[in-house]
Amino acid sequence: MIRIDAGRRRFLTGGIATFGLGATAALGQQAAPAPPAKTRIDVHHHYIPPFHADIMESKRSGGRPPKWTPQMSLDEMDKSGIATAIVSLVQPGAWFEDDVPLSRRLARECNDYGAKMMADHPGRFGLFAAVAPPDPDGSLKEIEYVFDTLKADGVGLFTSYGDKYLGDPSFEPVYAELNRRKAVVYVHPTTPNCCGRIVPGIGPSTIEFATDSTRTITHILFSGVATKYPDIRWIFSHSGGTVPFLTARLELVAQQRKMTGGAAPILRKFYYELAQGNTPGQLAALLKMVPISQVLYGTDYPFRDGAEVNGGIAAYGFTADDLRSIEREVALKLIPRLKQG
Amino acid sequence: MTMFSNCVCCTPALAAASPSIGRRKFIAGGIAALGLGSAGAPVVRAQGSNTKIDVHHHFLPPEHREALGKHKSGAPKWSVQMSLEDMDKSGIGTSVLSQVQPGTWWGDAEESRKLSRQINEYGAKLVRDHPGRFGLFATITPLDADGSLREIEYAFDTLKADGIGLLTSYDGKYLGDASFAPVYAELNRRKAVIYVHPLAPNCCANVVPGIPAGSIEYAADSTRTIAHLVFSGMSQKYPDIRWIFSHSGGTLPFLTQRFIQQQKVQKHPHLPDGPMPEFQKLYYELAQGNTKAQLSALFEMVKVSQVLYGTDYPYRDGAEVNAGIDNWKFGAADLRSIENETARRLLPNLKTA
Repeated sequence: MIRIDAGRRRFLTGGIATFGLGATAALGQQAAPAPPAKTRIDVHHHYIPPFHADIMESKRSGGRPPKWTPQMSLDEMDKSGIATAIVSLVQPGAWFEDDVPLSRRLARECNDYGAKMMADHPGRFGLFAAVAPPDPDGSLKEIEYVFDTLKADGVGLFTSYGDKYLGDPSFEPVYAELNRRKAVVYVHPTTPNCCGRIVPGIGPSTIEFATDSTRTITHILFSGVATKYPDIRWIFSHSGGTVPFLTARLELVAQQRKMTGGAAPILRKFYYELAQGNTPGQLAALLKMVPISQVLYGTDYPFRDGAEVNGGIAAYGFTADDLRSIEREVALKLIPRLKQG
Repeated sequence: MTMFSNCVCCTPALAAASPSIGRRKFIAGGIAALGLGSAGAPVVRAQGSNTKIDVHHHFLPPEHREALGKHKSGAPKWSVQMSLEDMDKSGIGTSVLSQVQPGTWWGDAEESRKLSRQINEYGAKLVRDHPGRFGLFATITPLDADGSLREIEYAFDTLKADGIGLLTSYDGKYLGDASFAPVYAELNRRKAVIYVHPLAPNCCANVVPGIPAGSIEYAADSTRTIAHLVFSGMSQKYPDIRWIFSHSGGTLPFLTQRFIQQQKVQKHPHLPDGPMPEFQKLYYELAQGNTKAQLSALFEMVKVSQVLYGTDYPYRDGAEVNAGIDNWKFGAADLRSIENETARRLLPNLKTA
C-alpha cells in the first residue's frame, strides 16, 4: 500500500523551504535553492475578490471564505512551480436565485476583477468567468462580454443550481452558445440543495461535493447534453468526484437505456483535474476510466495547495511525457493562448 | 418509477450475458506498483468447488414483498431456488441472507416489528430447510429501540441468527445516532456482526432526473454512514461490534483524503490518529465494488483481511463478482481469505455446506 502523508508530500516538493526556515538560517551563508521552474498550468484555482467575500459571509455554506489576495496566489504559484492559474469563484459563485439583479451585477464585477488580474500580471492568470445557466438572458449577455471583451479562457459553472443539475433542459440556450464558441467549461462542486448537511458533524465538502460532481457528470452524460453540444470541453473537479469509483453503476444505466458503447466513451471525452483527487487509489481509478490526455493539473488553492497535488503526482510515478501532459500540455491544447506565456 | 426504482437491472441473466461492460480491461504495471496482496501465482479455480461464503445476498419473504408493494416500493424477482441455482453456478457454498431495502420502517413501529419478525422467521426456516446453504443477518429497525432489543434476543437466542442486518440510514438518521446506543450496547455485549446495506435517503432519491436512485445515492449513503459511525465515536464506544459495509464501502475508498482533512480541521479528541485507523478496522464486501478501479482504491485503504465476498443477489450475481475477482488476479491465500476464511472467522457459528 502506498501512503504519502501530508507532511511527506510537502517535503517531496518543497525541499528546504518546507521547514519554514530562512535559507541563510538553514544553510549558514549558502544561497537559497532556486525556486522550481514555473511550467505548470493550474486549472483549479480560486480567486476571492473582497466584495465577493463580503457577500459570501451570509450567502455561502460555511460562511466567509478564507483570506485571499492576488499576491498570495502568486507566492503559492512561485513556490509550487505554477506558471499560470486559471481562476474561478468559490461556491456558490455569483448566482442567487432570490436576487437576479444582484447576481448579474456580482458576476460582472467578479469577471472584471478577474480580467484585471490577468492584465496586472501578464501570463500569470487566466479566467473561467462566472455565468449562471438558470438565468439564460443574463448569462448570454455575460458570455458575450467575458469572451469578446474580457478575453476569458472559459466559463466556470457549479455542479448544481438549486435543484437543477447541469443536464437540465432549461440550460440549453446557454449550452448552445457555449457550444458555438467551442468553450471550455470548468465545473466546480457546490453544497447541493438536497443534502449538504445531512450527517451531523460532517461538513459538505467531505462527501457531498464529490457526490454532487458525480450527479452532474451523470446528468450531463445521460440527459443528452454531452452529445447535443459536443464542442463544449468540460473540465470536472477533483478527478470527477466519485465517478471513477462508480463507473460500473453508470454502465448499468447505459445498458438499461440501450446506449451503444455505454457510458465510457462519453466519460473519456470529458477532462478531469487532480486537486483533492491525487491519492494513489484515486489516480489508479481515474486512469482506468480515461487516458492521460484527459487529465489536468489543479490545486484548489487556497483550500489546498500546490505542494499537496505535487506530492500526489510525484508519488504516483508518471513518465516524463505524462507529467508534462498533465501539468501543461493538455491545458495548452484547451487554451492555446496560454502558449504565449 | 415502479420495478426499477431500486435497481437498474433486476435480471441476473442480463448481467451474465453482458460481461463486457467496459470495466474489465486488463491493466498492467499500475496494480503491481500498489504492492498488493500476497505473493504467489493467481489461483486456478477448482472445478465444482463450492466454498465461497456470500455475505451480501438478499431474500424476499412473501410478507415483505406484500408490504413493499403496499408502500409503493419496487421489489426484485426472487425465490430460494433462484438463489441456490446461482450459488451452485458460482461456487458459493453458503449465503448469509439479509433484507432488501428500504427495510420495514414506514413510521409504524407495530408494522415494523411484525414484519421484521416475519422476515426473520422466514430466513431462519430457509437456514433449517437447506442445511449449510444459508445463514441469516436478522432484520431490526434501530429507530425502535424496544422492538429492536426484543427482536435481537429472539433472533440470536431462538432463531440462532448469525448477525444483524441494518440499513445505512433510517428517516435521515445515520448509524452514529445517539438514540441507537441501547441497540449497540446489546449488540456489543453479544460481539455481534452487523451487515449494513444502503438505501437512497428521502432527501436524495429523485434528485437527478432519469437516474435510478441506486446508481449514485446508495454508495453516497454508505459513505455517509461509515463517516458518521467513526466521527461520532460510536464505532469506538462499541468496539466489539464487527461492521460489514456493502459495495466496498460505497465511495469511501475514493474519498479517504477528505476525511483525513476533516479531522485536521475539526479535531475530534477520540481520533488522535485521524479516522483511517477506524476505517481500517471495519469490513467491506465486494458486490458491485470489484472493478479494478474500486479494488485499487479499496486496497489503498485496507488490508485484504478486511475484505469479504458478496454478490448482491438477485440484483447482481455470482458471475459478476467472480469475474471482477478473477480480473484482479489475487494470490491463492488472499482469495481464500476473501471468499471463505474471513467470513468463517467473523461468523464461527455459521453452518456451511
